Amino acid sequence: MVLILIVMFGLSIGLVFPTLSEAQKAQKTFVTHAGGVITTSGEVIDPVYEVSTMDFDPMEYLRDFNYGKISKLSDGTTLREFTIIAEDDKVMEVSPGVFYNVWTFNGTVPGPTIRATEGDLVRIHFINNGSKEHTMHFHGIHPAQMDGVFEIVGSGGGRFTYEFEAGPVGVHPYHCHVMPLEEHIVHGLYGVFIVDPKEKRPAADEMVMVLNGLDTDFDTENNFYAANTIPFYYQHHPIQINTNQLIRIYVVNMVEFDPINNFHLHGNLYHYYPTGTDTVPSLYTDMITLSQTERGIMEFEYTYPGKYLFHAHKVEFSEKGWVGIFLVRDDLNQDSVEADYGT
Amino acid sequence: MELDKKSSKGRILASGLAPFFLLIIMIAYIFGPGSELLDLGTPLPEITLEKIQFMDSEIQVTVRNTGPISVEVVMADVNDRIQPAAIEPDRFLNRYETALVRIPFEWNEAEPYIIGLTTDDGTRFEREIQAAAPALKPDLEFAAFFAIIGTYVGIIPVLIGLLWLPFIKKINKSKYHFFLALTVGLLLFLGIDSIEEAIDVSGENLSGSLNGTLLIATTVILSFLGLYYTSEKLTSRADSIKISKPVAIALMISIGIGLHNFGEGLAIGAAVGLGSIAFSTFLIVGFALHNTTEGLAIAAPISRGKPTIRKLLGLGLIAGTPAIFGAWVGGFAFSPFSSVIFLSIGTGAIFQVIVIILKWIREEGDSNLSSAAVASGIATGLLIMYFTSIII
Repeated sequence: MVLILIVMFGLSIGLVFPTLSEAQKAQKTFVTHAGGVITTSGEVIDPVYEVSTMDFDPMEYLRDFNYGKISKLSDGTTLREFTIIAEDDKVMEVSPGVFYNVWTFNGTVPGPTIRATEGDLVRIHFINNGSKEHTMHFHGIHPAQMDGVFEIVGSGGGRFTYEFEAGPVGVHPYHCHVMPLEEHIVHGLYGVFIVDPKEKRPAADEMVMVLNGLDTDFDTENNFYAANTIPFYYQHHPIQINTNQLIRIYVVNMVEFDPINNFHLHGNLYHYYPTGTDTVPSLYTDMITLSQTERGIMEFEYTYPGKYLFHAHKVEFSEKGWVGIFLVRDDLNQDSVEADYGT
Repeated sequence: MELDKKSSKGRILASGLAPFFLLIIMIAYIFGPGSELLDLGTPLPEITLEKIQFMDSEIQVTVRNTGPISVEVVMADVNDRIQPAAIEPDRFLNRYETALVRIPFEWNEAEPYIIGLTTDDGTRFEREIQAAAPALKPDLEFAAFFAIIGTYVGIIPVLIGLLWLPFIKKINKSKYHFFLALTVGLLLFLGIDSIEEAIDVSGENLSGSLNGTLLIATTVILSFLGLYYTSEKLTSRADSIKISKPVAIALMISIGIGLHNFGEGLAIGAAVGLGSIAFSTFLIVGFALHNTTEGLAIAAPISRGKPTIRKLLGLGLIAGTPAIFGAWVGGFAFSPFSSVIFLSIGTGAIFQVIVIILKWIREEGDSNLSSAAVASGIATGLLIMYFTSIII
């Protein structure tokens, strides 16, 4: 009996203090993106993206406008030609260590920002190199056969040429419109189409933000949210802007599954032009609510330098990646807007 | 002649090994040149969050790769909100390998939390904790706390139950059979209870790939066989090692109940440790009432021997003390896998004791086990256990 008790006791001690026997390993201390401090002998798993490991650079996408191959028609109209290639076999690291099968226009999510002036003739040479059928459906005004819904483009090199007059003025999404539509959108087949007014908008530091989500485990709930695909990216790589300079953001909400998204700016308010179709702002606010494919233009200037957050005030979205920082700097030389933004 | 014998032995050996040899060739073929033929479907990763502990400003998750392929754990979240974390020793998990994920988080006591981990293919796995409670540190204070609980729940009730001994000694044979049968009923209930508990623990904590229910069945039967064999040896040699047969049977019952109480202690310790129950005095009273009947189970067979006080005390301690050890292990080092194993071993032990007692009743004269005393005894035992179990 005593023996049994001793054995039991020994077993219990062994199970209670299993770590005593392990040698102390080297400890490292990290401060995480949320400000927590971890001292660990292992690895840190923190969704902080390193520039060097990225497939897609949100900083480059931010100010990248594609004006197309420009030529003049005999009647003086400007023709803008674009080539867009759809693919659906790319696996991209969307967040550190998380690999997701993205479907892309020209290799990125979102696809290229297509920009034209009102009245231009837009001609898009669409090639479907994917394994599924795809199309391009533009929001805007165009003939029915250019709507990219019933004119399905076959897989493995199918082609279609979309041609329409750019309009109306504003910011519009384009996306694939093949069924099941939700699947084609959430995998990444969307982008932004900007139509500038003939009399240009005032000069500004312009950027595009597509608010999107990623459902990496296909349970019809987003695992990540972001401005421009990569969660937390602009938080770790703040967008550098100057004081007293007009900032113009073309914002498009492409989040699926969740009925709404929103955009909150810190330390400032912005003039908001819903859909960008009017030249007079309809709101002066720091908070707009956006439904599916709802979009608009935001304009603001910062007076004081420093770091300012912008994020979804649906905090779930911001805590899953839709958060960023403007790093506002005093810049006496207003011409140096071209400075290095991508650090 | 010698040669013939040798060659025939060789032949037997060869014929015994030939199927194994062919099996090895087949497996080698499947993994080697034949692998393309069988390359169907996509293996899906699976991880199981086996244990979640709430420390100072930190949540710790023990995660095991329970899927068919190796995985990387790349992200942690609390209530579906992404949190930076550390993973030790690293984020690469081979099959069945475990890692500790440490999430810095200011959690609030008694609030529910859902902890999620995401693997490299973007799949999120989660586990819900109904009420966060600070993890127990294996310090003396808690060790003493669990020792006291174990004493209340295990040792004292069993010893109180043993006090029925003088009463059982004085009753006639059929009444005595009734009490032996009552013991069978009590034990039968405990056995079923242990299996249920084991299935619960495995269902909540173990991955499907471990085949929890079959693991339990296998362990129960192995434990039964092992203990049955040992006890047969013990009782058949009872005379030569100077303990009477009744004492030997009582000893086996004590060991069986001890293993069961170890499992009970595990459950209590784990429940306190995981914060899934508030440990009320009411609960202790329930367990105590329930376990008093275990003392009776030991007293019944030994009443026909000549037990000394020392022997009785020893038997009571063997049955009761494991509750303390169980509470320590359950509270400080809860592991669902070992809990399931301990519970299953305890169940096997209990069924073994049931068989021994039934055998003894038959040897005592009721060869069909069909007397009113036996039937009503078993029924009464089950009912007593059922009603005392409701209190818990």
